[in-house]
Amino acid sequence: MTTLAHAPASSRPIPNPKKSLITRLHMGTGMVVGIIFCWGTYFAMKAGRDMTDSHNVNKVLLASMLMWSFGFLVGIGALIGPFRWLIGKDLTAEEQLYLAGDGQGVERYFKYCTDHKVVGIQYLVGVMTMLGAGGTMAMMIRTNLATPGSHFVNPNVYNSLVGLHGITMIIALIIVSTGPFGNYIMPIMIGAADMAFPRLNALSWWVLFTAIPVLCSAWFLGGIPTGWTAYAPLSDQAGPGMNAFLATIIIFALSTAVAGANITTTVIAMRAKGMKWNRVPIFVIGATISVALAVPAFPTFMVAMIQTAMDRTIATGFYDPNVGGSGWLYANLFWIMGHPEVYVILIPGVAALMEIAPVFVRKPLFSYNAAIAGFAGIAGLSILVWAHHMYMSGWMPALNGPFMVTTEFISVPTGLLFLVLIGTLWRGKPWMKLPMLSVYAFIWDFLIGGITGIYLSDVPADNYLHGSMYVTAHFHYTLMGAALTGAIGGLAYWFPKMTGRMLNERGGYISFWLVQIGFNVLFLGMFLAGAEGQPRRVADYAHLFAHANLISTIGAYSVGIGMLTLLWAIIHSARSGVVAPMNPWGAKTLEWTVPYPVPLVNFDTPPVVTSDPYGYGRSAK
Amino acid sequence: MANHEEEVLAPTPGQRVGTFSKRKDVKRTFWLWLFFTIVFCVLGRIAYPHWMPPVLSKEMQGNEDIMIWFTVISAPIAGIVLAVAMESFLNMHRGDTPPEEGVAIRTNTPVVIIWTAGSVFFCIVAIVWGLVVMNTDANKAAADSATALTVDVTGAQWNWSFFYPAQNIHTHTLNLPVDQPVTFNVISDDVNHSFWPVQLGVKVDANRLATTVIHATPTKVGVLDVKCAELCGLYHAYMETSGQVETSADFTSWVSSIQATGGVQQ
Repeated sequence: MTTLAHAPASSRPIPNPKKSLITRLHMGTGMVVGIIFCWGTYFAMKAGRDMTDSHNVNKVLLASMLMWSFGFLVGIGALIGPFRWLIGKDLTAEEQLYLAGDGQGVERYFKYCTDHKVVGIQYLVGVMTMLGAGGTMAMMIRTNLATPGSHFVNPNVYNSLVGLHGITMIIALIIVSTGPFGNYIMPIMIGAADMAFPRLNALSWWVLFTAIPVLCSAWFLGGIPTGWTAYAPLSDQAGPGMNAFLATIIIFALSTAVAGANITTTVIAMRAKGMKWNRVPIFVIGATISVALAVPAFPTFMVAMIQTAMDRTIATGFYDPNVGGSGWLYANLFWIMGHPEVYVILIPGVAALMEIAPVFVRKPLFSYNAAIAGFAGIAGLSILVWAHHMYMSGWMPALNGPFMVTTEFISVPTGLLFLVLIGTLWRGKPWMKLPMLSVYAFIWDFLIGGITGIYLSDVPADNYLHGSMYVTAHFHYTLMGAALTGAIGGLAYWFPKMTGRMLNERGGYISFWLVQIGFNVLFLGMFLAGAEGQPRRVADYAHLFAHANLISTIGAYSVGIGMLTLLWAIIHSARSGVVAPMNPWGAKTLEWTVPYPVPLVNFDTPPVVTSDPYGYGRSAK
Repeated sequence: MANHEEEVLAPTPGQRVGTFSKRKDVKRTFWLWLFFTIVFCVLGRIAYPHWMPPVLSKEMQGNEDIMIWFTVISAPIAGIVLAVAMESFLNMHRGDTPPEEGVAIRTNTPVVIIWTAGSVFFCIVAIVWGLVVMNTDANKAAADSATALTVDVTGAQWNWSFFYPAQNIHTHTLNLPVDQPVTFNVISDDVNHSFWPVQLGVKVDANRLATTVIHATPTKVGVLDVKCAELCGLYHAYMETSGQVETSADFTSWVSSIQATGGVQQ
């Protein structure tokens, strides 16, 4: 836990630990050391090995990628603290203040900075970059599918686009709310001075950062043919690009474990005086349940990848049926992570909208307890539903019935989330600002995503729909239509606190309608293609599906233009937008009680909480 | 205003419902609910039969029925959500100042209980429906096992091949006699594939060294499309073939023509 002095920044001396190595390390030194470690490992391991053997190639590449990550962390100074502990010392108080970015300017965003607000902005920029990359790949996919027989990209590039779009977006969406808002806003919302483990907080971001170049390297190593699910034995058969995928997941799982432990501990241990559990803002509850769900889920993903790596490097055969392994083992491990992960993505987005709705309707959140029951119910059931992804795999058909029961029951807690939102809207006169629009978009999108999920959870209907474009449309409605919409609403809502300026309304409105109309055209077209019988992940298709695909592609371009408009609005507003007052929405949560820029330790005087933050409204007549 | 001399009585549930139903926002929400419910029902009833391919089997008919009726069943609930959302949306406040304070409704226990009970009920309906269909299909497959036509299906990067053991023929198209139950034994030569005879409405993965089994009963003559529904590498998109559900006589003659060429389809 940090030992930062809880005193106003103005009364503290600016730290100046001139002789400390810490002051000389930054992202650039990290990259230099990372590249040295990577290439050093590559050449050292390559020497004397038969590089025509794919096992050797995989060993060398995997080790080089992981050493890049380790080298970067060494080079940016992430390991100075642990090293000092090894020799019985620790960072000095002055060094800790320096690490927190105290008195520094923009350069702290490129350093191993422990201030949760800096980490929040780093996550925000990182997420936007990933969404931009994933979105560009989506545009390429839709361009290729605009007409049958298109050769915009070849099948190998297409398959790689599908896989890399998938994994890039999944990673981006996992962190899209808990990264920026969970780090920047959440500690202030609970009245804390910082996260429980500020150094781990910085570590979680920079570990994640090292995964980005690793994933990009897949392009230069021949791509990945497996989609983001990386099913075995196709992954055993895949070329060197697969190593980049495996290394990315291993690194990412470490990052989420660190971030999850940190956020959970912070919420449990560092809430302001008086903030009992029934006074905790709903976004904090949602983010905590989400990361708590991620903590057990992602290690299984990591194990699945490590075993794939072992099959590919030392021929263990976990998933190779030729030597007694089974692809079903992989599928189980993958989906034991994969279905909780859907809710890890969804819950924080919904929770952000539940935070927004009462503020703009000027009514209390309807049934706070039902919201918590909804989140908890979803989280609990989500670990018991994974094999609905495997109804048609042939693995244990006798379990299809039980998994159908657990999966369909998840609609009960999910229904509570709808009740909370419409209950909050009921008899309200919503202030139709940008954040509030996302609430309405979410209700429509998630309703479609939810209902189509009921068909897919039904074994007989899934007989037809599994593996079709219908599935692709369904999960985009939940992940993009619900979770990303929630995150965009959150960004519009907390933008004034994170940048000191209001998000440009005109740009925001134009973007909102382009994205939402385009999104529905895109994925309603995809439902049509799926119902007609088009399999997913195909680079080409029969003429029968031409209309549906053209409709989808037109929608996709609208989404693309809308997202670019949003990007323009964000950059323009952050640079020269209208200066925001301290509490532009008149909200009652603690983050709106601190000025911008938010002081290093957030509050000059630790706040005391006496009620929940939803005390809006007049008595009912 | 009640007279101070009189005893002030709380409204009865009947009076409360009466007052509630006369409110303007409640009336508007009701009409919106009715509109959305009807739209969803009509869309479900019309869209799916129109979108989905011709029904050539009992199983496909079951799938299509589920798509239609699940939409109809969920329409009233979706209607409530959309009606309340739309009612509040139409009531929006614009401008740069916040709206006046709304009604401080913290919760409403009966509503939460009714909502939860309602969703549990619809959930159970969906589950029971699914289980009954699964059970019926399984029982029928067991009853038909003695008389079913067997087809061994092999997926390999990137084509499908079929072997009819009783007829001793190898083919690359899937022809089936109408009204004859069929059992597919599915396996892969390499990576995972997924065997999907689209118009039959059944599907199962083809796994390396592990046979999976599905059953279907074609009920109508027509063209079959066989696709791969599991990403299987470079030419996954092109891993497809065609076939036919045909009359018994046509099927027999098709088998004979292949047997005449050594049992291998040209």
